[in-house]
Amino acid sequence: MKKLFTILALIASIFAIIFSVLPLSNLAIIPAIAALVFGIIAFYLSKKAGKVKKIIQFSFLLTIMALAITTYKSIFTTTEVANTEVIEATETKLEEESIEELEELDIEIDDSDLEGISFDE
Amino acid sequence: MIRISFLLIFLFSITINAQNNAIGVGEKLTYTASYNMSGILTDLAQVTMETSAVKTSKATLLRLKCKATTYSKWDSFFKIRDLYESYVNPKSLKPYLYNRDINEGGYFKNMKYTFSHKTKTVKTVQTKKNNWVEKKTVTIGPDTKDIISTLYSIRTFDLTSLSPGTSKIFTILFDREEVKAKVTYLGKETISTALGSKACYKLSLGSASSNTVNGTLWLTADENKIPVFVKFKIPVGTGELKIKSATGLKH
Repeated sequence: MKKLFTILALIASIFAIIFSVLPLSNLAIIPAIAALVFGIIAFYLSKKAGKVKKIIQFSFLLTIMALAITTYKSIFTTTEVANTEVIEATETKLEEESIEELEELDIEIDDSDLEGISFDE
Repeated sequence: MIRISFLLIFLFSITINAQNNAIGVGEKLTYTASYNMSGILTDLAQVTMETSAVKTSKATLLRLKCKATTYSKWDSFFKIRDLYESYVNPKSLKPYLYNRDINEGGYFKNMKYTFSHKTKTVKTVQTKKNNWVEKKTVTIGPDTKDIISTLYSIRTFDLTSLSPGTSKIFTILFDREEVKAKVTYLGKETISTALGSKACYKLSLGSASSNTVNGTLWLTADENKIPVFVKFKIPVGTGELKIKSATGLKH
């Protein structure tokens, strides 16, 4: 029992630290809570048995680190879009190509089709 | 039962003879795509949907453009720069030309469809990395549209008098194959969005062949019928598309 919870706490804390460094750091909260719960159970069970292993403290340390990174990231990182030069270039290129292509196409739109549509640019 | 549902679909498709009264020129909708797992949200990408007028010597068309870009924190892990655009008839939203240019984590693909509604054919050109080009011509049904014009055409239907449960089948040309999608009207619901609390039409999106529901769509219950919230199923958790801003609306 003691061993099982120690292993679970360790695994959960490793997951927490992995998630926290990835961009989906918010998800680290789930394994972090699990690691804390398992860790506390393992801690009390081993305390009853007499000796607390260092590995349990280590899993606590990892979890706290993961939570610290997650909190830091959620406060200080802003969600923004960057590096859009390439897609913007593609946009203009595609538009130019498409207009050329559309010129060649045989498109029939009567004026009634355009009723109610205002082209304010 | 099957016969009745067919009849309903048939009636439904008669009553909603689509005319575009909802989509104007110069409309820009911005969304945040995020991943939701047990209530914890992670922002993934920004999605924009824009319309603009395109003039050729013969006609003026409506250009529908959808763009997905991952946020900068994801760019070093999995960078997505997707562009979908469709040049359509401003009134009936019938597509003439469709471009799909995707770049997902280094995977590149460009697909171009040129619709010929008279002959019911579509000329397709697919380009992949290292200029690998494949050309094919496919035949389509009378109401087949590309995915972008289908998305916009959902907004053109009059949903005010519909009873919940009515559905409509759309035929979409995707990856050079015709896919049948089913949109079901579920009823009215008021949800809170970045634009304030909005009364919405709730629609479910799914495949027509397997009768599965893949997503839910909320359109504002006004003249514009802009999509404000989309929820879709993924293997673990759910994906969400929330509106961030809307400018240039028609009404």
